Amino acid sequence: MRYKVLSAGLALALAGGLAACGGGSDSGGDANEISLVMSNHPWQKAIEPLLSEFEQASGVKVKVQTFAEQQARDKISLNLQSRSSSMDVFMTLPSREGLQFAKAGYYAPLDDYMTKSTEYDAADFPAAVKTGMTVQEKTVAAPINVEGVVLYYRTDLFQQYGIQPPKTLDELPTVAAAIKEKSGGKVTPIALRGQSAALPFTFGPFLHSQGLEWTKEDGTPAFDDPAAADVINRYATLAKDFGPPGVVNNTFTQSSALFAAGNAAMELESSNEIGSINDPKTSKVVGKIGVLDFPAGSAGSKSTVLNWGIAISSYSKNKDAAWKFVEWATGKATQLKLTSNGIAPPRTSVAQDKTYTDTLNTETLKQWNEALANVQENGSTEVGPVGVSAPEMRKVVGDAVGKVILGQADAPAAAKEIQDGLTPLLAKNG
Amino acid sequence: MTKPTSASGAAKRAPGAGAPPRRGRRVDPIARGIWPFALPAVVVTAVLVLAPIAYTIWLSVSDRQADGTNAGFLGFANYTEMFADSEFWNALKVTVFLFAVCLIVETLLGLALGYVMSLDVPGRRIFQGMMLIPAITASVAVGLVWLLIMDPSLGAANQILAKVGVDPVVWLGDPDIAPWSIALVDIWQWTPFMALIIAAGIRSLPEEPFEAAAIDGASGWRTAWNVGLPLLRPVLTVAMLLRTVDLVRFFDTIYIMTQGGPVNATNTLNVYGYNTGFVDNEPSYAATLQIALLVLVVLIAGVFTWFRQRAAR
Repeated sequence: MRYKVLSAGLALALAGGLAACGGGSDSGGDANEISLVMSNHPWQKAIEPLLSEFEQASGVKVKVQTFAEQQARDKISLNLQSRSSSMDVFMTLPSREGLQFAKAGYYAPLDDYMTKSTEYDAADFPAAVKTGMTVQEKTVAAPINVEGVVLYYRTDLFQQYGIQPPKTLDELPTVAAAIKEKSGGKVTPIALRGQSAALPFTFGPFLHSQGLEWTKEDGTPAFDDPAAADVINRYATLAKDFGPPGVVNNTFTQSSALFAAGNAAMELESSNEIGSINDPKTSKVVGKIGVLDFPAGSAGSKSTVLNWGIAISSYSKNKDAAWKFVEWATGKATQLKLTSNGIAPPRTSVAQDKTYTDTLNTETLKQWNEALANVQENGSTEVGPVGVSAPEMRKVVGDAVGKVILGQADAPAAAKEIQDGLTPLLAKNG
Repeated sequence: MTKPTSASGAAKRAPGAGAPPRRGRRVDPIARGIWPFALPAVVVTAVLVLAPIAYTIWLSVSDRQADGTNAGFLGFANYTEMFADSEFWNALKVTVFLFAVCLIVETLLGLALGYVMSLDVPGRRIFQGMMLIPAITASVAVGLVWLLIMDPSLGAANQILAKVGVDPVVWLGDPDIAPWSIALVDIWQWTPFMALIIAAGIRSLPEEPFEAAAIDGASGWRTAWNVGLPLLRPVLTVAMLLRTVDLVRFFDTIYIMTQGGPVNATNTLNVYGYNTGFVDNEPSYAATLQIALLVLVVLIAGVFTWFRQRAAR
């Protein structure tokens, strides 16, 4: 009898121990430690070496987790969905997930922190940037960069072939065709996005430059306009006839790899990519890059402008320490330091700072800065259709355009697919 | 001889004359206090397997929101939506395609390779060790390396093909080719694993039936088909079952290489469920898709088990 009781006790202790292991791992750490989840991004690469400065000055220790973009999104979603306090600060794209996250209560609003801070100077951010970080009248994130779609081209190849760089959307396929012909098909005329979730970022400028929008005033999709089919056709033709093989799987990684390897004559990508294609360590084409505004359509050159931000999780137990980090990382001094690694500053004062403007000393960087200024002035902040289902809506657009690129559908059918696919998803916005 | 035996037997039985026979009590673990040792296993299974399944079923019939609240019981609305969802049927088709192609090719190649590995040749053990490398490499690493190899412009695969005068192949960017490319990676990774199990099976086969077949004058092929294969069947079924469970829930390589693209050509049920849950933030519908996947795994595993039992009879 005695050993029966003993064995039962032992077994229960074992089971109890296991249960305790399963339940107790979600502690938020001590008050002077924050956990930061970042996406693999030029900003992340630039900020990491500076973290020790922050740790020394503030006494707050920063635990860093970095993932590839998609994996970072998954990790962040998982932390938020499970209301975990193990993540304090995360990188976010309010233009993509802002409404979705805000409605779910994932963001800790930053307004109070920003107004209370004496040094922060939130008014230094341009109005468009601030709007981009605001959802339902609350500031959900602090801006860390500015980027937009520009057209990179190879100055040496254009000179060799005797071609003028394209200024309009109508010229773009003509120029691409000339490159294809003069290079004997050896050079990919243009590298651009085809992967469905990533495509709207570079597809949007085609739409906006032709005077169209993703949605109508009443919040329904605007793809029943025959002009939308024409835009789809322009993008898909460019990708299909003049893009790299396998373009439907490509996003900035593949496009920039092609361009940096010298295999593409033009690249339609984010201004951010200057960091990788203009770096002698990773690129063969440094010194041969020209940067242009997005080619003008019937409504002018209307690129897409995008700000990444950092947000504080509403489940964080160390919000004050988290704010200290946000305040430091998006403050003037740090943003000025980050410019030396090619991070375009969202702060007006930093963008005009002589220390920064003096570094833009090559023809490539000067053109890049001008194109970026145009992006900020004329770009649309709507990377894709806006709503709680933004990620899913982008996939609807990307899949439909992808089918045209693959020759599985024609442009009017794709426009109808987008119209039908977006309608119920936009209706969720209420 | 009999007398002392019966006397000692009577003496032993005397104290507990009215009690049930001891043999029955000895196999009853509960009476011997053994059951508590099984408790941790039961608790762990319940907590880590049964509870998540029960919770997933609950999610699939309720309306869980992204903020963690649950708007309550929905009935079978998610299931109705799933059966009307063309992407679900596409994902099912892709899942079954990859399962069938990979399993058939891996089994056939595994048989051939397993036979070679069962032979006593010098260096066999080193070869066996090397064969295991793909299987013990993390699928994420395998996916990333193959992604580089299969890059249409800069990848090694097309550069090698170009050397022998073959036109470049768009490995992952063509919806007709991408599922085959994914299958190729899986076959590369898991055929050696099949071969190792099969080789071990072949080496453990009894020699007598083969000697008998040789005496009867059966040809090599006939011996392999009518003697070797039936004897190998239990091992083969286990190896195939292991691969089946993995293949039906195919996820990691695809997630790394195509994320279900191009245009959903490699969107397996598991990838679709994952994206629904974590990208689209629709946990309830994702749970419904996972239940469909669970049913599929159970069905296929059931068919295998049925085959095995039938063969055993």
